[in-house]
Amino acid sequence: MTVRRALLSVATVLAALLVQSTVLTRLPLPGGAPDLLLVLVVAYALAEGPLSGTVTGFCAGLLADLTSDHELGRTALVLALVGYVAGLVADDPSYGGSGERSTLLPFAVVGLAAAGAVTVYAVEGLLLGDPRITASAWLTALLGTSAYCVLLTPFVVPVVGALVRRVGRDPLRHR
Amino acid sequence: MRGPRLLLVLLLLTAFTLTALDARSGDGSPFEGLRRGVDAVLGPAQRALGGAVTRVAGAVDGESAADERLEQENARLRAELRRTDDLRRRVRELDELLQLRDDGSYPMVPARVTARGSAFGFASTVTIDAGSSDGIEPGQTVVSGDGLVGRTVRVGAFTSTVLLVTDPGFTVGARLDRQGTVGLATGTGDGLELALVEGGRLEEGDALLTTGSDTFVPGVPVGRVTSVDDGRQVSTAQVAPFVDVTALDLVGVVTEPPRSTPRVPLEPRPGS
Repeated sequence: MTVRRALLSVATVLAALLVQSTVLTRLPLPGGAPDLLLVLVVAYALAEGPLSGTVTGFCAGLLADLTSDHELGRTALVLALVGYVAGLVADDPSYGGSGERSTLLPFAVVGLAAAGAVTVYAVEGLLLGDPRITASAWLTALLGTSAYCVLLTPFVVPVVGALVRRVGRDPLRHR
Repeated sequence: MRGPRLLLVLLLLTAFTLTALDARSGDGSPFEGLRRGVDAVLGPAQRALGGAVTRVAGAVDGESAADERLEQENARLRAELRRTDDLRRRVRELDELLQLRDDGSYPMVPARVTARGSAFGFASTVTIDAGSSDGIEPGQTVVSGDGLVGRTVRVGAFTSTVLLVTDPGFTVGARLDRQGTVGLATGTGDGLELALVEGGRLEEGDALLTTGSDTFVPGVPVGRVTSVDDGRQVSTAQVAPFVDVTALDLVGVVTEPPRSTPRVPLEPRPGS
């Protein structure tokens, strides 16, 4: 991995984390808020594949965990999983991994990834006895977070794709 | 495709181990130092950006400085009004003989909300732009002009995390303003639920105030009873908080509650 490519990841993840906590979660929206970090991880996975998605997801999640009040590693696990699965979709030839890709694909992947992330996070909470996890809270987050993440997609996925192409693809991808 | 999968398994195991370690160790978490470090680095940036966002949002709303002053003044007066019912009752109970100092005036550190906690839509915390360098410690009462906001849970050098009254992990001892009945109020996500400790009547419209404990200063308005459920064992009630937790800006952290309430022994009056 080149230094420039590494810096790109670090800069975008930090910027996303700050914008997330100071702007997006404070928007007076009903039923939750968009999760910029999740969309960012999906964007990297779609641009570079499962390896990049998994690593970015884990690191971004760990950083988010460190600034939160829940147990360390919960978001890291969720986002690593999200990055891996989204990366598999990107690599799959039947979804246009090598050739043309449907413009709707990123929206679908982000929506499903958000729904999956909310659910995995809720299951973690149930295992840990987190009082915040209730059926109604899960349903609200499932609908709200997924919908808002999909709305964020056109502003994040193309930008990350362009940035990655500019800086040079992650050599890790080709091992 | 084996490389990414192997890495995924390793990272998932790492994350799970971290979670287990962090969950088991509770307050004395081995990661506390690391969290503090991240707070010290990201805190100032969050503080600057959050402050700028608040100002921009205020400008967009067409809110001038004078409006803001009036709003704060209004909030303070509303809070004072709510305390009046409680004060009347207390006067009736000859509380002045005990010389209770809980009239709601405590040394406070003002702070602004700069960020809101996020975990895929489940969190109910906010970050404020004051920390241990301002004299804040974990477990202190956070109030606004309208009433109780929450309590500090994690304190960094320049920022602190506040657990909001509406969080399901939040519990506070509270008493009803008119009857003086005592109960426990716990967050439900968008409001609070009050369960009476002893018997007693609950009525819609009753206001709740904190009773005061190791954590909370007494006499802070919490919320108003919106509906009552007279159960077989205990009566419970739904409580709407006075503070709008989705639109928080200026708050105060009570840094020095009275450590011990000064009390004067009651002497039996001779000859009566």
